[in-house]
Amino acid sequence: MARRKPKGRPGAPGLTFLLLLLLAAVPSEAANTVSVDVGAVYASNEGTSMDSALGTIRGKLQSMFNYTSYRMLDRKRRTLTVGEAGEFELPGRRTMRATPLSVEGNKVRLSIQISEGPKNLLTTTLGLSRGGMVLVGGPSHQAGVLILIISAE
Amino acid sequence: MDCRTAHARIDEKADGLLPRDAEAELSGHLSGCPACAAEDAAVSATGPLLRALAGIRATEKAPALDAMWTRVRAGIEEGRESERRTSWIARWAWVPAAVALAVLAILFYPTGTDRSPFHPSTFDVAVEDIESEAATVALVDKGEDLPRVIWIIENGKT
Repeated sequence: MARRKPKGRPGAPGLTFLLLLLLAAVPSEAANTVSVDVGAVYASNEGTSMDSALGTIRGKLQSMFNYTSYRMLDRKRRTLTVGEAGEFELPGRRTMRATPLSVEGNKVRLSIQISEGPKNLLTTTLGLSRGGMVLVGGPSHQAGVLILIISAE
Repeated sequence: MDCRTAHARIDEKADGLLPRDAEAELSGHLSGCPACAAEDAAVSATGPLLRALAGIRATEKAPALDAMWTRVRAGIEEGRESERRTSWIARWAWVPAAVALAVLAILFYPTGTDRSPFHPSTFDVAVEDIESEAATVALVDKGEDLPRVIWIIENGKT
């Protein structure tokens, strides 16, 4: 009995084209976008716990601050285009607004504004490398303080 | 040759299985035995009669056979067409499924939350400007190996 010659999949070129189209579209979009990651850490002297979600930053926190306990309360990420403001709700009815001002290669300029109700706690402009990180701390929370871990990808 | 052997040879001859030397021997017997000669004549006439009868029956049945073959051929063609249709659908059915999956992946990609641990690649951060309306702010820099810290001091408390 003659064996049938295996047929090619005529849909494969279509999907390949679709994927190429997507891949071509993604870098141009990604070059103009910044993924802003904000983690809210509650630092206090209540206990001696260290949240594993803090990753390699745990040792840095312990060497920089005198708190005995670090617990991540919340973490959010927003992918923003240049000029687009992203709102991050923080513990204690505080909010943070992040706006990428420009993206040049690996460098990102980021405007950060932290408010507590009508009060403006902080307005700053940061120049970060992608993958870079900065800490914003001090606002009181329960028996300790909040430390925000802000990074841009 | 006796008559019993001759009858067996007559059947073999009718079937075309009798060797030439045996046929000569049989002919010798038939020429001297009228009974076996009559048997040989009857058996020899049966073959052509059967062939003629088969030909007649085939001619009679030809239209019915033609019709049956036409039905068989139509059935085979219908089966092939159905297979072609099914394989076409099976070959292309995955495309809308793949597109739907891609759309779902894009729509529901979890960008809002991230629970992977922090692994910063650099602490190189330039603070271009810094101000506060409601608190005192301090910029703390403890070296390249440690992140820069902006510390907000509310109501004089650290």
